[in-house]
Amino acid sequence: MSNDLVLARRDRVLDAMSDAGIDVLVLGRQDNAGYACGMRRLWTAGTRPFGAGCIVVGSTGRIHVLSSWEDGIEPPMTFDDLYPLTWNPRIMAVSMAGIDGLAGAGRIGVDELTPSFQRAAASFAPDAEVVAADNLMADVRLHKLSGEIEAIARTCATVWVGVEAVLSASERSDPAAAAIEALSSRGVTVPSSGVQVERRGEALAIDIGVICDLYEGGVGGVFVDSRRAGSSALVDACRAGATHADLAAAATGDWLVRGLGMGFERPVIGPGVGARERLEAGMVLSVTDGPHRDVVHVTADGPAVLSQRP
Amino acid sequence: MVDLRRMGVERLARLRVEMRAQDVDGAVLMHGPHVTYATGHVPEAVDASHANHRRAVAIVSAADGPARLHAHDPVNEVAVAGAETGAPLWLELDDGAAAVGEAIAEVLGDVTGHRVAVDGVTGAMARAGVLDGAELVDASRVLGPARVVKTNDELTCIDQAQRYTERAMVAARTACVPGTTRAEVAGAFLAALREGDASEEGSAGADYRNGIDPIFQPMPLRRDGGSRTSTGHVAFPTGVDNPVFTEGDLVWVDAGVGWHGYMSDFGCTWVPGRAPTAAEQSLCDRWMAVLEASLAVVGPGATLGDVGRAARSVEQDETPWLPQFYLAHGSGLESAEMPMIGTDLGQAFDEGFELAAGMVLVFEPVIWVDGVGGYRAEEVVAVTDDGWRRLGAGDHYEPFRS
Repeated sequence: MSNDLVLARRDRVLDAMSDAGIDVLVLGRQDNAGYACGMRRLWTAGTRPFGAGCIVVGSTGRIHVLSSWEDGIEPPMTFDDLYPLTWNPRIMAVSMAGIDGLAGAGRIGVDELTPSFQRAAASFAPDAEVVAADNLMADVRLHKLSGEIEAIARTCATVWVGVEAVLSASERSDPAAAAIEALSSRGVTVPSSGVQVERRGEALAIDIGVICDLYEGGVGGVFVDSRRAGSSALVDACRAGATHADLAAAATGDWLVRGLGMGFERPVIGPGVGARERLEAGMVLSVTDGPHRDVVHVTADGPAVLSQRP
Repeated sequence: MVDLRRMGVERLARLRVEMRAQDVDGAVLMHGPHVTYATGHVPEAVDASHANHRRAVAIVSAADGPARLHAHDPVNEVAVAGAETGAPLWLELDDGAAAVGEAIAEVLGDVTGHRVAVDGVTGAMARAGVLDGAELVDASRVLGPARVVKTNDELTCIDQAQRYTERAMVAARTACVPGTTRAEVAGAFLAALREGDASEEGSAGADYRNGIDPIFQPMPLRRDGGSRTSTGHVAFPTGVDNPVFTEGDLVWVDAGVGWHGYMSDFGCTWVPGRAPTAAEQSLCDRWMAVLEASLAVVGPGATLGDVGRAARSVEQDETPWLPQFYLAHGSGLESAEMPMIGTDLGQAFDEGFELAAGMVLVFEPVIWVDGVGGYRAEEVVAVTDDGWRRLGAGDHYEPFRS
């Protein structure tokens, strides 16, 4: 990953903290941590309990992460910015005491609130007020940098390698296995939503979502004779200023429009959710209408599809 | 045979015993394994960002009655038979917080002044004042003691997950030759997991979920031969980069696959494209000796300290496990649960923790000789009334043992 992109994201986070009067951010969500510092970690499926995985200190501009080794970290972070994995809360408290700028923090922002962190914070930062900072991170991530657009488009192109593999292996007992092998030959083994393949008579319904270099890509559709069928009206409706009603009117099936970047992001707009949202230029969206899915960059000139078949 | 309905009834009963013992009136659960424990619903094995936004939620009252489940993913009707289901909730969104509050009120009533166990509170829930006035405690305080002893059905699930993982690993070992990459070997494993589905009877195959980007990590042969660590030992599992295997590599393998939510934990060491050297074989033999010495003392009433001492007794010069981890850990709906033996929680913790029938131990010692490298594998056992029994087929030590 380009180090310029890592630095640009970090600066956005530090600026947002300054604007919001947040002295320290404690991030438990891997996507938020990856955004702030570019760190790659072993992927595991599903939710993780909240823990202090990444700490951004406004006064020093330093970012610290929970790791016992330097694999996966990006400059300017160094080994000295790490605190080690431990099972012992007392050892963790010692690590926290060693982070410059944490003990005197007035406001600590977290991306999820838990009773145990509240209790721990009262000991390592006695004067701190712990506040929700999920919106701070979501707002920073809402509008994509040009380097992020390029990264998402690259992952989308890789997703098509999986789609083409399914289409040329339709006789296989599970064509999804062909996609998994083809993606792995490109070094990609981490799913976002994963590989779904369903036979519908002569047609194949395919949806693939993966993560590559921290950024998600995806595409979906019903393929007949290797050609993708279906409406793109919802994609065409993804324009700056579009409302929930605009999108609902364009959709032809079960639909969902949601942010896509380092995985599943805001906004989330669909039946029963996101009634007050309005699309803005700079957003990147996963646009699902029935089995049809594309990744769309909302620009001032209209929707730009990032998941075009290469 | 696993009885999903019975498993759900027994788990919910165990959870309520702990809730009542700790005066917890209700639980609002949004961590996947906790939701599974309370309701039987297993969320899809997707990226955390997807799982967070499309969280399944369980709401449990300490009083009798069904648990409440709100899920986005399709549910297995048999597995969730003991729960009542409600519409999907959007806990991450300000837009969805009011519905979360309503669902909690429907199941728990007014929570003011009551003790409620939570995995966490999202920003949206906090801003909407959901759970304001309740005394919040960490859900792991009630889920942890409930989960640590497994029912027979839970043990059956772990055994099945382990056997299924072992079968798919045969394809990965065939693929792991000099010149291939980590991701290609992972792809062979993940494809075999999928292809295995078609040969399963009924829809059982659809219940397998891969839980971790499978690890095939070529290890340095010296402690200082890899990246810098805070432990003075080697870094594992790093889970990054895509190395190409070469002859001479010692590859540490680690994978986990869930069945009805219950995780396998597969570990072993491979030598791509060749047979082990005599020095490498000796590492494996010593590893087996540590395992056997440890298992010899496993049984109800033994402390974690007893087991750790037994392991150390056959490797007196050096602790035979990685300093950041353990000699053994529990396993169930997550692949590193209590009880953990030999962690930095310290000796007093280990001496105070007694094993009981139904607990699961995944032994993962490491034998290391600087210059030769290390041998690491994993063996999964359940504590029984008179000792232990193996979960999985336990014949996964090739090419060191066949």
